[in-house]
Amino acid sequence: MPAAEISSEDKGDNRMNLKRFYGMTLATALSVSMLAGCSGNNNTKDAAATAAPASGNAATASSEPSQEPVTLKWALWDWEATAYYKPLIDAYKAAHPNVTIEYVDLGSTDYMTMLSTQLSGGADLDVLTIKDIPGYSNLVKQNHLEPLKTYMGDKSIDPSVYGGTVEQIEVNGEVYALPFRSDFWLIYYNKALFDKAGVDYPTNDMTFDQYDELARKMTSGSGSEKVYGAHYHTWRSAVQLFGILDGKNTVVGGNYDFLKPTYERILKEQEDGIVMDYATLKTSSTHYSGVFYNNSVAMMNMGSWFIATQIEKVKSGESQSAEWGIVKYPHPDGVEAGTTLGTITSLAVNQKSKHKEAALDFMNFVTGAEGAKVIASTGTIPAIKNDEVINSITSIDGFPADENSKAALNTVQTYLEMPIHEKSADIEVILNEAHDNIMTKNATIDEGLKDMNDRVGQLLNN
Amino acid sequence: MQNETILRTNKSPKSRLSRGLRDNLVAYSFIAPNFIGFALFTLVPMIFAFILAFVKWDGANPMKFIGLDNFSRLISDTTFHKALWNTIVYTVGVVPLTMIVALALAILLNQKIMGRNFMRTVFFFPYVASLVAVAAVWNFIFSPTMGPVNNILHLITGIPLEDLPRWAADKQWAMFTVVLFTVWKNMGYYMVIYLAGLQGINPELYEAAELDGAGPWRRFRNVTVPQLAPTTFFVLMILVINSFKVYDIFINLFAGADNQLNNATRVMVYQIYNTAFRSLDYGYASAMAIVLFLLVLGITIVQFRGEKKYGQ
Amino acid sequence: MVGKSKGLKISLMVLVYALLILTVLAMLVPYIWMLSSSLKLNKDVFSFPMQWIPANPRWENFQDIWTRIPLGRFIYNTAKLSVIVTILQLLTSSFAAYAFSKLHFRGKNAIFLGYIATIAIPWQAYMVPQFILMRYMGLNNTHLAIILLQAFSAFGVFMMRQFYQGVPDELCEAARIDGLSEYGIWARIMLPLSKPALSTLTIFTFVATWNDFLGPMIYLTDTKLKTIQIGLRMFISQYSAEYGLIMAASVVSIIPVVIVFLALQKYFVQGVAASGIKG
Repeated sequence: MPAAEISSEDKGDNRMNLKRFYGMTLATALSVSMLAGCSGNNNTKDAAATAAPASGNAATASSEPSQEPVTLKWALWDWEATAYYKPLIDAYKAAHPNVTIEYVDLGSTDYMTMLSTQLSGGADLDVLTIKDIPGYSNLVKQNHLEPLKTYMGDKSIDPSVYGGTVEQIEVNGEVYALPFRSDFWLIYYNKALFDKAGVDYPTNDMTFDQYDELARKMTSGSGSEKVYGAHYHTWRSAVQLFGILDGKNTVVGGNYDFLKPTYERILKEQEDGIVMDYATLKTSSTHYSGVFYNNSVAMMNMGSWFIATQIEKVKSGESQSAEWGIVKYPHPDGVEAGTTLGTITSLAVNQKSKHKEAALDFMNFVTGAEGAKVIASTGTIPAIKNDEVINSITSIDGFPADENSKAALNTVQTYLEMPIHEKSADIEVILNEAHDNIMTKNATIDEGLKDMNDRVGQLLNN
Repeated sequence: MQNETILRTNKSPKSRLSRGLRDNLVAYSFIAPNFIGFALFTLVPMIFAFILAFVKWDGANPMKFIGLDNFSRLISDTTFHKALWNTIVYTVGVVPLTMIVALALAILLNQKIMGRNFMRTVFFFPYVASLVAVAAVWNFIFSPTMGPVNNILHLITGIPLEDLPRWAADKQWAMFTVVLFTVWKNMGYYMVIYLAGLQGINPELYEAAELDGAGPWRRFRNVTVPQLAPTTFFVLMILVINSFKVYDIFINLFAGADNQLNNATRVMVYQIYNTAFRSLDYGYASAMAIVLFLLVLGITIVQFRGEKKYGQ
Repeated sequence: MVGKSKGLKISLMVLVYALLILTVLAMLVPYIWMLSSSLKLNKDVFSFPMQWIPANPRWENFQDIWTRIPLGRFIYNTAKLSVIVTILQLLTSSFAAYAFSKLHFRGKNAIFLGYIATIAIPWQAYMVPQFILMRYMGLNNTHLAIILLQAFSAFGVFMMRQFYQGVPDELCEAARIDGLSEYGIWARIMLPLSKPALSTLTIFTFVATWNDFLGPMIYLTDTKLKTIQIGLRMFISQYSAEYGLIMAASVVSIIPVVIVFLALQKYFVQGVAASGIKG
């Protein structure tokens, strides 16, 4: 049981008062449990004591982390639900027995807000997981993150292995985080439904129009027998970002008129009953996985994170769409197949960390080739995506056997869902709201786009 | 008035001099335990937040004094105006409705009726239940095309499902839905306050009124209402304040995975939260909080005066 | 004088009962749904048409919630916090309320007004300064932080003061003449008389602490210290939400609060003035 322990060294006096307080008012259950929680770490301390202290010149000292016992605190979310945290920690500890890594789970809802609050309050976190770009850009603005360019130079970390994502998160020529997980969008489809309808499976090269046509072909039935041709989850990225795949526009540009065809196509599908109604989905908290499991949708655009979940749920029997496959994301006319949207999860180091060197080393491990191997073994797509990693994922038991599904994992161009921008947090708020208004038909497409233009424009001029 | 009584009954004129001071000290000693904790952990941060309204601060980098700039920004901020307006509409909807329902329930469940304890518990239930769970239930039940509410309405009225209100998803009906939800969720809470208040009424007063030939309505008007005045004042205050501070209910009812509200459902605390934590504009968020504070303070003073006048 | 309309009265009673039963049913529907969802697979929770009685009830949900997250620990933590906060709140609030209601002192109205006005400031506005202060005092990641945060609220003082207003001043004066000190009056007269108010405050404080989410979320990042509301959210992860388990955990978490409510509600009928001192 790894537990996020409170380190007591930096607050000795208060700790005394606390103990007295608890002693007076309560049973000592709390302190007992604290002792129990610590016992797991004793071995590492002994091991470190026998290891030789680091010596030699300054150059080796900086590249060779010291052997002193160190405890790193790693801020993350969904500890229980995420498969790769523990294997990563174990793998790192096997090579660095002097390092203890404790996690601090800040929960997935509003994770970046929680993290920013913790850091503003001076929390002693060392390694920070970065969940999204707006939150990242806020932390950079707040000077919470350690700049990495020099370290990357020292360690000769080549940013090109990350497939161009590192360049996309540069702020004023400096990098503050390295990606370890890189998800991209795919089409999941239900083979059994296609077989039943006698329609050919989707392919790895579909334009938006072909996708729309296929979705219409696959829609059938009514009531509880209804099958929807496609499914768009209630996230803005699931609908709006089709519009940026031609590479001509970004969502931080200030003008959103280019989104009109996308919204027209999706709303038409919604009106024609090809996809479920956004408002219904949102208010009933319908989760995309549920409708896919229940054989209610033939195709669904979703991130690659769903691969591992779908495999697992087919095994457990919860997912009834046991016959399934994936293909590449649909693309606009004249754009190469394999162009898709992506989202990265990265690691950063707290600028005020007391164990910066050890924290950087851990970050380097997780975001590097070794970490990628560990992450891929859990069915998740790491940021370093080479053939070995792809093979490791496609060979997982339960991964669709057809060649198309394997080939679908190769991407040619990935646009980040939210590009880095000084005001990306504010822009995202505006876009989400306007998107919601359009999709719930509380605003027409033109009104919604005008709202985006006006408010983002105002923000950018400020 | 009370002091006079004490002074009159006081026999020794010598101790009269220190009386005022001693009274003050005794009173302060009563307040102190709560006030010290309150001042240290709530008041101090609050004052700090007030100061923030006059600076530009992102929560980490050094602050910059900017005078009243944050306040002048508020004047032209249309999203804030929308949030303020929505909050006021919500408050106007929730306060009277909750008060009436809660009082009616309290009076009813103060009678010796069958299953009284069970019913009290049932009505208090929604307040106790976790908001995440009950909001999910509500949204499901009021789901536009598939929820039971609209399906029943469809069966009764014959109006096609598409033309029925889409409740939480509908700009026009969102506020109505959230008011209804709030009343449902919180009426038990205010019912409990009223129940406790009703216990404070001397039954002899009712007996006397009955002897005077007063019917149920007159007994309610002439005994219950005036006797409940302090309780009503309290309920009104807390209701107004809580309505102005509403946040959780809106987030759980309307916001999806992105934790966001739209123009029809944006409320003040949401605006404050977003400004502080997403835009990292703590100063501006504090200025909004001060507007909220002044609004409620104004209402409090009016009600406070009202209570004094009514109470005499 | 009641006799003349006995028939009318009975039919009125029937009407009232019918209405009540209907309302009670309407109130219960969400809970029945919650209970039924707690026995379903996640994917079936929101599927249409809804199944009131699950075809294959998953009783495992009620096992899983204890193993998937340390729910027992969370319940213990929450209960501990709720009890301590409630006791402190009751003591300090009723103490301060006595002064605001029955004593005269300089600055009374100003202090009181200031007190209530602070209730109006949303916590989100001073959350960060407060967090910095608590951290500075070394209270981050301790239950003490939550206790200090919740125990000294202006709300409790305000509420108790309102109920004390209903206790006739003459009672206190009589006690003073009898030679009771102010502390004596508070302990021997006000406290026993305000049982309904105290039970109300107990319930409210207990429920508020029990259901608090944002406070524990910010102050308690150590898993061993977390509370039940954070536990509930643990079933909502980045890419999925397990509503079956959320509903099961909600059902479990509601039980202690209902017990507190049931235990205290008998005091709602032992009235202040029931002893007939007034007048």
